[in-house]
Amino acid sequence: MYLNIKATKNNTFDAIVVGSGMTGGFAAKELTEKGLNVLMIERGREIKHPQDYDTAMKQPWEVKHRGKVTAHSAEELWANKRFGNLANDESGPFFTNDKDNPYIEKRPFDWIRAYHTGGKSMHWGRQSYRFNKEDFEANAKEGIGIDWPIRYDDLAPWYTYVEKFVGVSGQKEGLDVLPDGHFLPAMPLFAPEVHFKKMMLEKFNRPVTVGRVANLSQPQEWHTKLGRASCQYRNKCVRGCPYGAYYSSLSGAIPAANLTKRLSMLHDTIVAEILYDEQKQRATGVRVINQITNQVEEYFAKIIFLNAGAMNTAALMLNSKSNRFQNGLGNDSDQVGRNIMDHHLGVGATATVEGFLDDYVYGQRPNALYIPRFRNWGNDKQSYLRGFGYQGGASREGWSRGVNADGFGGDFKQSLTKPGQWTIGFGGFGEVLPNPENRMYLDPTRKDQWGVPMIVFDAAFGENEIAMRKDIMNSAMEMMDAAGFKNIAGYNRPEVHLGLGIHEMGTARMGRDAKTSVLNAFNQVHSVKNVFVTDGAAMTSSSCVNPSITYMALTARAADYAVKALKKREL
Amino acid sequence: MNRRDVIKNVALMLGGAFSAPTLMAMNHWESPTKSYPSVATFNLTQTQRNIVAEIAELILPKTTAPNDASPGAKDVGVPAFIEMMMKDCYLQPEQMSFIEGLEKMEQVKFLELNDNERKGILKYLEQETKAEMKARQMKQTKMGDNDDHEDIKKVAKGLPFWRLIKELTLLGYFTSEEGIKASFEYVQIPGKVENIKLKPNQKSYAY
Ligand SMILES: Cc1cc2nc3c(=O)[nH]c(=O)nc-3n(C[C@H](O)[C@H](O)[C@H](O)COP(=O)(O)OP(=O)(O)OC[C@H]3O[C@@H](n4cnc5c(N)ncnc54)[C@H](O)[C@@H]3O)c2cc1C
Ligand code: SF4
Repeated sequence: MYLNIKATKNNTFDAIVVGSGMTGGFAAKELTEKGLNVLMIERGREIKHPQDYDTAMKQPWEVKHRGKVTAHSAEELWANKRFGNLANDESGPFFTNDKDNPYIEKRPFDWIRAYHTGGKSMHWGRQSYRFNKEDFEANAKEGIGIDWPIRYDDLAPWYTYVEKFVGVSGQKEGLDVLPDGHFLPAMPLFAPEVHFKKMMLEKFNRPVTVGRVANLSQPQEWHTKLGRASCQYRNKCVRGCPYGAYYSSLSGAIPAANLTKRLSMLHDTIVAEILYDEQKQRATGVRVINQITNQVEEYFAKIIFLNAGAMNTAALMLNSKSNRFQNGLGNDSDQVGRNIMDHHLGVGATATVEGFLDDYVYGQRPNALYIPRFRNWGNDKQSYLRGFGYQGGASREGWSRGVNADGFGGDFKQSLTKPGQWTIGFGGFGEVLPNPENRMYLDPTRKDQWGVPMIVFDAAFGENEIAMRKDIMNSAMEMMDAAGFKNIAGYNRPEVHLGLGIHEMGTARMGRDAKTSVLNAFNQVHSVKNVFVTDGAAMTSSSCVNPSITYMALTARAADYAVKALKKREL
Repeated sequence: MNRRDVIKNVALMLGGAFSAPTLMAMNHWESPTKSYPSVATFNLTQTQRNIVAEIAELILPKTTAPNDASPGAKDVGVPAFIEMMMKDCYLQPEQMSFIEGLEKMEQVKFLELNDNERKGILKYLEQETKAEMKARQMKQTKMGDNDDHEDIKKVAKGLPFWRLIKELTLLGYFTSEEGIKASFEYVQIPGKVENIKLKPNQKSYAY
């Protein structure tokens, strides 16, 4: 551990950041760069970038089960398994063992966790889209949930700031529905996708663009300085990138924070409680448990950033009880743990594409095509609220087409060495509305192996989501048909629950009124001014775009505010 | 399609090469099988191992033509791979269906048949599996309707034997070092992504 000697003497720092993932890393970078001594506390094991990505360079034959999940791993990582192949030999060791870290499902909830340095930023799909103006206003206009206390323009400069640092490859399109950002060169669309794009404009006036993805298509000097290099197009990002070519807390924020020499880090250290001083009416620090030795310790700071991931952040607040806060720190509104949102997925369509048989691709694009929201946008009006975007793409079939095709023998073998036909598929990410009845809370009696109360999930899709799902599937099929694709097959997986989108959020929402929200416009807990929540818990609505870039923009903005307030002695 | 139709189709496909012994073997097709082993004891007998190896090799045989010389499934260790995968990655329904398939092969005395007869059996198996997979798929689409939640628990029957052995043969072969290198243009670090035109006879890239 790189503990700052001077500060450890009395376990006191300027700031404590809980969690080293996507948002914790960014908070630590901002706060250290602005001159604070920061202690970042991570509950999971240490992963050193890039040397600990031990499966990253393995060739296909060096991976024992060749991408499949073993029965043993499926049992240990039972929640992860619901997502698909995350629990396989290549990436399984980087996800959390659900058997050792169980949670309770009053109603089913698919909770995918990665407890280690960098959290889920090591595994994310890197899709990075700004919320649009409407996303911040829709709640107020439609009378859903509560109003955001900020608008697009408040966040826009911070989006730019984050995009620059992170490095997002993308195409400017000039669309209101999907605001442009600061982009590195875009990745190519493939031949059938170009055709599809043209047809969608012609037939539906719907734009299609290439995914906006946090992979360095052209590193800038500030990326290189951190040891990050150009993407090599292997598309094995989920194993960790040896080149630091995609953004993660490990490849970007933590190295940047380390350059300041003001970052101290603890691993294997679970933050179990936020300490609150009733006299001073502020948080003073945290109580932690070492996950290996069970040793308990306290650390202190002027400000505390909660970035444990939306569900764990809410759990931590709920577990921090005092005379003043008997229902959990900052929980006067009883909104902590409520309004769980996610993006629902597992619904879309696939098809085969005729022709384009002399078109092929060299390299593996770690990215997809993107169809921005078109529902309830402009003149479109549906029976449900909000909308969805699609992600997917076209590829030529490989050998695996042989599995379900007729044939065996020498000619069959030979035929599988050539590319097959093109196929295309895309699935929707749909917006989920905030609903206070969709919630998580702490079990009153059951505790985990460290004596911390277990999380109970009690949440499900509502009518709006279910209606939207049908449309996601049908519209995908309709668009494929309009593009002339064949063998169109829609899917709407019934076993998908909230959580599977891995965009869980909303459990300590921002708002204008302390009676109905937990955080103010700068992610500050209304009633405990020196505690900031800047992970997904802060979200007041979910939009339908992948949220991490928004979390990071909120984090950078809140850190800026916090440091200024500290300097003005307001905190 | 009933069994008779499937046999008729296969016979047509093979151009009448469906020999008397194969047809006779077919009569044992639906005889009751032995009791199923439990997961803990998923283990193949030597005969069953030989059957797995012979089927895998029939799916992806060694070829020696000058323009297409490449190893076969046996050369690259596919039979052992299949057994390992069945043991490690599948649960009881699939393991049972795999063993059941092998027992059927034992009943038709697969190892005593000649090459043509073996192929006939596999063709039959292929058609039978196709019908079964189609039925499964229809069930799945139906369940995909979201109105039919309850049904999902009922799909307890494992994937058919042919589907399992074929997938694992292909997977084992096309991800083995020799299999990849003989079959594809293997590129470990592409360095770029771009649209290209396919050259005549160009092989797929593998990464
Ligand atoms: C496969 C996959 C694909 C994804 N694709 C995308 C995508 O394309 N685009 C997108 O925007 N998002 C994507 N996401 C989601 C994205 O990863 C998350 O939104 C993001 O990582 C959330 O950041 P966070 O800081 O809130 O949480 P995390 O990154 O999960 O970090 C939380 C950290 O806090 C630690 N922690 C938790 N509890 C405690 C505690 N009590 N004490 C101390 N430490 C604690 C955890 O161990 C973890 O390291 C994807 C996720 C996955 C898994
Ligand atoms: S595709 Fe690019 S970012 Fe992903 S692992 Fe490969 S080099 Fe790294």
